[in-house]
Amino acid sequence: MKTIVLVLLIAVGCGGDNNSVKQDAGAKDAGMDTAPDASCFENPTTHHEIINACTTAQKIYKSTKPPLQNADGTLPSLPP
Amino acid sequence: LDDRSRADDDESVKRILLCCALAVAPQIADAAPCSELTNPIYLQVGDTQVNLMKRLGRALRDNTNKPITLVWVTSGSCVNIQAIYTGVAIAANTNMAYVPSVAEDGAWVPSSPTLTCQAPAGGKVPDIANSALFNSACTTETPPSTVELTYGPVQAYVMAVPEASSQTAITFEEAYFVFGFGLAGMVEPWSDEAALFIRTATKSTLLAWAANISVPADKWKGVRHDGSTMVVSSLQSATTPEKAIGILGAEVYDSLRDTLNVLAFRAKGQYAAYYPDSTATARDKQNVRDGHYTVWSPTVWMDKTSAATPVNADARYVIDLIAGKAVTPAINFDMIKIIADVGLVPDCAMGVNRAFEGGPLSLYTPAQSCVCKYESLVDTSSCAICSDQSPCASGVCRNGYCEVQ
Repeated sequence: MKTIVLVLLIAVGCGGDNNSVKQDAGAKDAGMDTAPDASCFENPTTHHEIINACTTAQKIYKSTKPPLQNADGTLPSLPP
Repeated sequence: LDDRSRADDDESVKRILLCCALAVAPQIADAAPCSELTNPIYLQVGDTQVNLMKRLGRALRDNTNKPITLVWVTSGSCVNIQAIYTGVAIAANTNMAYVPSVAEDGAWVPSSPTLTCQAPAGGKVPDIANSALFNSACTTETPPSTVELTYGPVQAYVMAVPEASSQTAITFEEAYFVFGFGLAGMVEPWSDEAALFIRTATKSTLLAWAANISVPADKWKGVRHDGSTMVVSSLQSATTPEKAIGILGAEVYDSLRDTLNVLAFRAKGQYAAYYPDSTATARDKQNVRDGHYTVWSPTVWMDKTSAATPVNADARYVIDLIAGKAVTPAINFDMIKIIADVGLVPDCAMGVNRAFEGGPLSLYTPAQSCVCKYESLVDTSSCAICSDQSPCASGVCRNGYCEVQ
């Protein structure tokens, strides 16, 4: 049983592939950077990985959140 | 009215008509029938494609083996789609644009004005119609079997601000509130709806952005302009530059970089904001090509067919050329250079693809890559140079460069 749990923990920790995401590094408000992002994907395959793939392109980080954005990050419906 | 008043009115009307006639007369005198030009091909295109029309038009006029005159009018992508789907003619005597051949005006350059000719009597259904985004963003109607759709170069769309603005980036969430809520969205500095310069709902620029920020075209707040040039002039003349923001085709912005700034865009779920190019000043469209900049669409070029054969073979010749296909007879100019010069990205230089407007990106490998060639034009290429005498150690020699395939 312990062996099964250990295997499961390892599998979850690895994320099932080599492209598991690191945490969002975006904390430098309006900061510019041309170094690869610490949280980027080296071998992207999905949409999320492609748009967050490692790159030397100039990046701009914005941490400001619109006042009306919900606390959980979702957006309210558009006004009629 | 008494007779005297009526006579005065008649005289006034005559004066007005005379003035109008005098004002219009020189234009009519100058505007020859388009049909008298060499091998005219009639196009109805989005105004984001004017730079392409001018450069390609110039090249085709002097295309030794097949000289063609591109004659075009501009309208919204959705209008253009309907025009060729349902056969809506460009009205008779409509002023259409074209460019001179070298023999006619050797000094003409793409920044020079176009010439004007008049559409044929009886009107003319365009030989080629253009949509600067997926047709499905305009209509769910299945294209008629008599219309062939060909995907051309990729067009990026940008949010631009005046040169005097200090803003550098906008996020998906900010854009949602700015354009979906306007003033009520409370996103500074873009809280003045009179300083949000947008487009009407049939225009690819608005529809492409709408799909990328989840704000339907009819819900947008701001000042709706019919043409890109009006958005540009509104931004350039904004009295409060910090509050001003507008939407444009990237190739429109690319020709105006000295007066406008592009904003980097952070898409939904993205960690950082990116420009279409690798930096704010580059012209390599690197982030469009590799998927870091998500606001782009394919240009779609449509012509009529009959029994699966082009109705106008020369129209198909032009479309194949724009789409990067081999054409016969061969051209005497560099089509990839023309596409790169106007800020579009040829399909053969793309590394990502999508199936519908604003849809998820997937990795893409073009059948015949031109990445090396394209990068040599917009930046520098690290690819090996090759020729018949100097073949590639690996890959395929194409356009003088060792492409991966």
